[in-house]
Amino acid sequence: MIRFGCSTLNRLTYFTVAAQAAISMIWASSAHSMEMSDTFQIHGFMSQALIVTDHNDFFGPSSDDGGSLEYTELGINASFRPMSNVLVAGQLLARQAGDIQQLNDIELDYGIIDYQFYSNADMTSGVQLGRFKNPLGLYNQTRDVAITRPSILLPQSIYFDRTRQPALAADGATGYFEKLLDNGALRLQIGAGKPRMDEQSELSALGNDDLGDYSGETSYIAQLRYEYGGGGTIFALTYADVNAGLDSKTTGPGSGDFSFQPWIFSFQYNRESWSFTSEYAIRHVKSSGFADPYNYEATGESWYVQFTYRLADDWQWLLRYDSLVTDRDDQSGRKYVGETGRPAYTRYAKDWTTGLQWQPYSRVLVSSEFHNIEGTGWVPFQDSEEIKAQEKYWNMLLFQVSYLF
Amino acid sequence: MRPVLIGCLLALLLVSFDSLGDESATIVIANRTVQQTSLPLETLRAIFAMRQRTLPDGHAVHVFVLPDDNPVHEDFSKKILGVYPHQLRLAWDRAVFSGTGQAPNEVDNEAEMLETIASTPGSVGYIKQSSLNDQVRVLDIE
Repeated sequence: MIRFGCSTLNRLTYFTVAAQAAISMIWASSAHSMEMSDTFQIHGFMSQALIVTDHNDFFGPSSDDGGSLEYTELGINASFRPMSNVLVAGQLLARQAGDIQQLNDIELDYGIIDYQFYSNADMTSGVQLGRFKNPLGLYNQTRDVAITRPSILLPQSIYFDRTRQPALAADGATGYFEKLLDNGALRLQIGAGKPRMDEQSELSALGNDDLGDYSGETSYIAQLRYEYGGGGTIFALTYADVNAGLDSKTTGPGSGDFSFQPWIFSFQYNRESWSFTSEYAIRHVKSSGFADPYNYEATGESWYVQFTYRLADDWQWLLRYDSLVTDRDDQSGRKYVGETGRPAYTRYAKDWTTGLQWQPYSRVLVSSEFHNIEGTGWVPFQDSEEIKAQEKYWNMLLFQVSYLF
Repeated sequence: MRPVLIGCLLALLLVSFDSLGDESATIVIANRTVQQTSLPLETLRAIFAMRQRTLPDGHAVHVFVLPDDNPVHEDFSKKILGVYPHQLRLAWDRAVFSGTGQAPNEVDNEAEMLETIASTPGSVGYIKQSSLNDQVRVLDIE
């Protein structure tokens, strides 16, 4: 049963109206300056996917006949430079991903004032204030823009949806320093801010979303990135210290803290017709201050290797192997079964993916991909009934059409 | 015909003595208000990747490019920047949709490129050596 009816169209209308209001406000504020309107830009993107699985639902009822259309991304942004070294930019995002997010929950994806206070022939430094996108790994900052992704779904071991909301952006400040070298550039970015939390991240931290008021606390992120030969070779090292706290209900497990500290090593090598990409992440999670069994500590491990080949100017093929382990000391999940009685395969995922991307026009992308998966370690959280119905081995086929301007 | 050709060559000599070379080669041009006569390659890459928004002299830079499939754009990307056009496009999309930069301004052809660079203070772009006139300044890339 394909669910794409009137209500979806209503949500789209709502989104369009909100976007137009935002644009006219920005226009009004910049209309008095010639220089400003010279640099004024509007861009947007939209994508719609069809997801079909043989078992296990991913973003909607994908295992039903006809699959799921509940994966939609819509975004619009505006930017301008009121002064030579200042950039003001903001983006609205509406995204449907199964039950996790609804299209009418329009959010401010980012909203920043970027002041590039120092710039000479070999060095640039600046600061971004506001809601900034976190530079986690290679793909996080534009993870919702299909054309910047090598595949419809990013490698889920690192870019999974359970902690998408806090990973996406933070409200605070970030500084960047870029040193230009002989045939390369070294870039350091350090940020501090409050991440945003949602039901999925609360479930991910505490296994329950009805324990009290769960919210983000001051968190930090740093990325060191080295690009050689104009981006031909890229190395990046990311570290984040993400914190959250629960203000417990009287019936809850007591007030406590949750912290998440990933290290991500990223590598990419680009040639004219092919690219090789690999990322490895080690993720430390800890919750403390609660009544048992809510206190725990574990280190997860994620990695993927990915090869893309340009068959022609408008065709690209992808092959990837992606692996996630929730607890490095319990890779098979056996210990977890003993402690909780839940299936071992919910604690890991091994995903072979192959896909094709076709760009019939420069701003249009049509893609399809096939996943052969063992384990459900990164499938968005579901209720216990749904977990019971899950299968260890499953396949997923996706199609997506996207447009940007 | 011949005097015209000689005249053109002399004009070229006047505006860009040391960049005179292969007529089909692509060269980097700037508005005449731009004070630099040369830029390091990495600075040019940072400017065309839309990461750096001011010229070394502190003035706002306005980047102009030709369409992705234009042969001059391809030549500029590969031979001058040492980056493939699809990588450059990806860098722009990443900047535009993450709030870290803007997209470059696109012009349709070389004639429009010359006209726009000549009339926009702080602008940089590129053309074929053979299309050069004296309304713009040539930037040497080190």
